[in-house]
Amino acid sequence: MEIFVQQVFNGLTVGSVYSLFALGLTLVYGILHIPNFAHGAFYMVGGYITLMAMTGWGVHYVAAVVISVIVVGLLAVLTERIVFFPLRNMPPLQDKIAAIGLMLFLEAFAQLVWGTEYRTMPTPFGKVVDVFGITVTVQRILIIVTAVAVMLILYLFLKKTMTGAAIIAMSQNREGAFLAGINANKIAMLTFFISGALAAVASSIASPINLVFPGMGHLVILKAFVIIIIGGMGSIPGAIIGGYILGFAESLGGTFISNDYKDLIAFVLLVVILTFRPKGLFAKEVH
Amino acid sequence: MGGMVLKKRIVFLLLPLLLLLGACSDSASSGNGTGSGRKYDGKVVNLGYSGPLSGPAALYGENTLNGLSMAVEEINENGGFVVNGEKHYLNLVTLDDKYLPNEAGANAKRLVQEYKTPIVYVPHSGGIFAAQVFNMQTKFIIAAYSSEPDVTKQGNELTLRIPPKYEIYLRPYSEYVMKRFGKKIALLPASTQYGKDWAKKLEPVWKELGGEVVYKGSIDFNKDTDFFTIVTNALKKNPDVLFIGGPSEPTALVAKQARELGFKGGFLVMDQAKLDEMAAVLGSWDMLEGAVGVLPLPYSRNKGNEQFIDDYKKKYGKNPPSEAGYHYYSVYLFVEAMKAAGTVDDPEAIMKHIQEGIDRVPADKRIYDITKVDEEGGLVTPFRMGVVEKGKIVNKSDEYQ
Repeated sequence: MEIFVQQVFNGLTVGSVYSLFALGLTLVYGILHIPNFAHGAFYMVGGYITLMAMTGWGVHYVAAVVISVIVVGLLAVLTERIVFFPLRNMPPLQDKIAAIGLMLFLEAFAQLVWGTEYRTMPTPFGKVVDVFGITVTVQRILIIVTAVAVMLILYLFLKKTMTGAAIIAMSQNREGAFLAGINANKIAMLTFFISGALAAVASSIASPINLVFPGMGHLVILKAFVIIIIGGMGSIPGAIIGGYILGFAESLGGTFISNDYKDLIAFVLLVVILTFRPKGLFAKEVH
Repeated sequence: MGGMVLKKRIVFLLLPLLLLLGACSDSASSGNGTGSGRKYDGKVVNLGYSGPLSGPAALYGENTLNGLSMAVEEINENGGFVVNGEKHYLNLVTLDDKYLPNEAGANAKRLVQEYKTPIVYVPHSGGIFAAQVFNMQTKFIIAAYSSEPDVTKQGNELTLRIPPKYEIYLRPYSEYVMKRFGKKIALLPASTQYGKDWAKKLEPVWKELGGEVVYKGSIDFNKDTDFFTIVTNALKKNPDVLFIGGPSEPTALVAKQARELGFKGGFLVMDQAKLDEMAAVLGSWDMLEGAVGVLPLPYSRNKGNEQFIDDYKKKYGKNPPSEAGYHYYSVYLFVEAMKAAGTVDDPEAIMKHIQEGIDRVPADKRIYDITKVDEEGGLVTPFRMGVVEKGKIVNKSDEYQ
């Protein structure tokens, strides 16, 4: 029983990171139909910015996360402007190639600037605590709490504000949104900003329990694609649920079925879900 | 009509995945040379290298390359070397294989065809096996940096294994941790072929010493983002010792998470991970108390290696890892072997003169006290063992030899 609770907690921790990360990916896909392969690179840059702000400028962890969110958000907007915007009238393949190019560029850039070394991110929340017989660190609790809080804020933003409604409108029906007078440019930039910001939050909260290195984006990007396919490409609740499904598949599946096959479990889930719901769990019917 | 649109969609979804793979295998594969021969008056010998220069193992690749390029630069700056009355300089040609065996094989082929390299360095067992498929036909020496015993068990006469086989570590390491902590071990190596082979060979040794294996698992450092799950499961079996290993930095995280989950026992550390690099990640030796592993190079300073250790620190700002030391040494070894063989482009002749090469390496370049090459084609290095006791690393090499 104790082990079950511990593994549920472990699943929640990684699931939270996956969900946050996949959210950014699905938002961009929902609105611009770009599978942004460079999203993992945003995640990586986010980790480095937080780390550099802490070690280089001596900023507190929380402030460093805020800086990172803004920087990576702006970086994402910049890539939208100089890479994806000029390609808007091209066939979709161009976007995909551009996204891959962007990923390779950012990784090589990180390797050039920060080197190949693995780095550790110190955290003021490294304390180990026992909660109801399970062992957790404060940082892990923080991961879950932050992720849920960020998702709530995102939900409120999308549902309760005009700008949020415009994003939703555009993901539901592009032409309809244009006809209603929504500024597509602004929405695209905003979406990229949110997407980059989410990646930065995800990596900033996950890095203290992991390491920061140029290839860290690869650990999550493939999983994120599995998640948004499970959840339905472009679906926001799909990304959240999908992230936690994958997190639990890894922790509970790894414990009670087989650790060697835990990746298999995730992919079997993918096959089963796509068999019954070919467009994913929460696919929008409008397409 | 609708069907066609759908089909188009699927194609467009699949294409990028293919492209992603394609992109991964094509990026950064351009060759580049350091220490170009142009400014020197003499012939140039190309040394080939195929290793991970990007991707998750890039740090390891960089370490190996640092050792090589340091030696090459030194030799060239000191006027090259004379073979058969002619002056020669070295030129290092490096290709990125991202740790992939197939890429390493292709790279080796290209190095030999385009650059006529008599020697190709490959620092991972998968790549070595791939190059061994054709190195006897196309005639080049594989400078194999892997402690995997099978690398030299294939009877490949043009393979030189540089580091010692890991088999020599199994018994002494096991004896030490078992005596200090207890008989129950949980196995958590990297899920690479190398890690799994290590665990498979460790198991019978541990049992023979009267121990018990209570948990068998492995960690995929290329995919796992968090190790809490598997470490929790391993600790549930109350092990006294954890067998861990993989790249130093994530391996250190496994040790840290085990401590966070309340583990009080010892660590048997696979030779791929370096104790000093692990401590650097953790900030101190505290969490590694009771760890046993290969003694890091800076903890065995002597006449042969102190110059190298200091130079390396000055140049790269950190302690030299063992792979840098071995690679550095091997360049001097090959140069001496070429001199003894009287040829720079006959791999078979060079290989026959390795022993003479070993004997003639200058005293201040003997990073490790290597005395001979065994009949399989492996360099014989003295046994190295370091343990963490009371927050300090202690050299136990002689005691447990």
